[in-house]
Amino acid sequence: MISAARGTRGYIAEVWDAWNRFWFTPADPATLSLIRLLAGSLLLYTHAVWSLDLWAFLGPEGWWPVEFLRNTVHVSRLEDGTLEPVWSTWSVFFWIDQPWQLWSVHVLALLVFTCLMLGFFTRTAAFLGYLLAISYAQRVTPGAFFGLDKTNCLLVMYLMLGPCGARYSVDRLRRMRKGHTDDPPASVSANVAIRLMQLHLCVVYLFSGIAKLEGENWQAGTAVWWAVANLEYQSLDMTWMAGWPVLVAVMTHVTVFWELFYCCLVWNRHCRPVVLLIAFGVHGGIALCMGMITFGLAMIYANLSFVSPQAVRKYCDPLAARIARVFT
Amino acid sequence: MARRRQELGAKQSQQATPRAAEPAAKPEKPKPEKAKPSKPAPAGGVGWSLWTRLLVSLLVSGHMLAVFVAPWSLMTADALPPNFRLFDDQGNPVAPPPESSREWQKPIVVDWLSSKLTHYQNLVFINHGYEFFAPDPAGTHIMRYRVTRPDGQVVEGTFPDRKTHRPRLFYHRHMMLSEQTAGHGPSSGQNYADHLATVHGGESEVELVFHGLLPPYRVLEETPLDARSTYRVLASLQGKPRVAKTPPVELPPTQPQGAPR
Repeated sequence: MISAARGTRGYIAEVWDAWNRFWFTPADPATLSLIRLLAGSLLLYTHAVWSLDLWAFLGPEGWWPVEFLRNTVHVSRLEDGTLEPVWSTWSVFFWIDQPWQLWSVHVLALLVFTCLMLGFFTRTAAFLGYLLAISYAQRVTPGAFFGLDKTNCLLVMYLMLGPCGARYSVDRLRRMRKGHTDDPPASVSANVAIRLMQLHLCVVYLFSGIAKLEGENWQAGTAVWWAVANLEYQSLDMTWMAGWPVLVAVMTHVTVFWELFYCCLVWNRHCRPVVLLIAFGVHGGIALCMGMITFGLAMIYANLSFVSPQAVRKYCDPLAARIARVFT
Repeated sequence: MARRRQELGAKQSQQATPRAAEPAAKPEKPKPEKAKPSKPAPAGGVGWSLWTRLLVSLLVSGHMLAVFVAPWSLMTADALPPNFRLFDDQGNPVAPPPESSREWQKPIVVDWLSSKLTHYQNLVFINHGYEFFAPDPAGTHIMRYRVTRPDGQVVEGTFPDRKTHRPRLFYHRHMMLSEQTAGHGPSSGQNYADHLATVHGGESEVELVFHGLLPPYRVLEETPLDARSTYRVLASLQGKPRVAKTPPVELPPTQPQGAPR
């Protein structure tokens, strides 16, 4: 009995140690900073595109009027059967009813995303960027949202938790100009932010894989064909695959198994390169062949959370140093 | 085991210790006034105090639970027991019992978790699933519209439309408009009809069209992906201008063409 108790205590201590190492080991903020730079540029571009028809998509009386959303979509059913608006589904755009207000918020948002991309007052920009990204996404949900909005919000939500402007940023250049040339310190919050991003990505792929298991075409190995045969999505004609059923089947099955087992295999250092290579292949393929370039890039940027800071620095530091020499 | 932990801790501490600064500053720059050595990682490779770690552990656990429960709850549904008869003795389908019937089995765990976490999920925008191209890739929905202005001028168009909706992301946003209408019934399509009538200053007619997909053998037989037989009209709606907050736009010089019919 005593040995069993000791064994249990030892096990718990070991788990607690592993938990601490996983979450609270300080990490170089290089990976987080690179993701900030890339995700910031993506957020800026994807939100700038709303400018082409801002009033129709985000105005109070657009494609999906705010009143319609608040009264019929964002509602919960009470016990007596009546519908009540859900207070927690929020967006700045629910309270805007004048074009000048809408454009003011939009221009502010673009400035915030520019700051985030450049790494200028980065933590503040990341926090405001997160709130603004949610506002846009909630306003067009349902309506015009898709996976891009989910991934944009995922990225910026975790970026704001860590020192994402510690490297590759204007903030870093400003520090260097003031004489703070020492290396940015390893940071626990950088590690927490990256770990959350990694785990969230695992959940994304797990449920995407489980959902595909319900699909008869994913089971039969033909789903990739139905995706590339969709004219509205098509940006590169892949219908030559009609004559390559085995290729279609292999790609379909690999996609399902890769999504299902991503959450296990990506943690193993031997499997990780293969898992990430498939991720770049799948999302790169979606970007090139199905016209969802921004969504493909967003998912690739999220996958970069599994790239070590050392690897990031190896490739990014020389370029960052050149840029820094110009500005300092 | 303890020794192994110490080794691991030391190794991680080494990894976490920052490397030399980026070789960025010019050599002629004055020496840094406030330059300090980088903070080394705490002994054992773990940062923050015990209480901070406990608090953050609770927060990240709760957050990850909410992240997990959101797609899980969207994926689960009430189910009928396996012995429920879907067909009668003559082979005719049997209507499912009413929603209030005790026959329905509820996913009680995920429902309970979801009820506790739903507001948090909404606030931080993790209130969605991740069913990319699932359960199966399907055809797309298209909206065709025709607005007749009081002076008899007609505006016709389609969304999404590659010719007018550029860049690609803007096109994709319009594609999502027509896709997500299909999932929310005619009332959301009515909003589009009214919006188009308001913007173009006339009465609108909108058709929700389903564009089906061709199997590989049809493509090998050289049937085009936009063959007439692949389009099917699902619904037609009429719209009238709302009390407009924006003035109607001027007619474009060339009227956009509709999708192949």
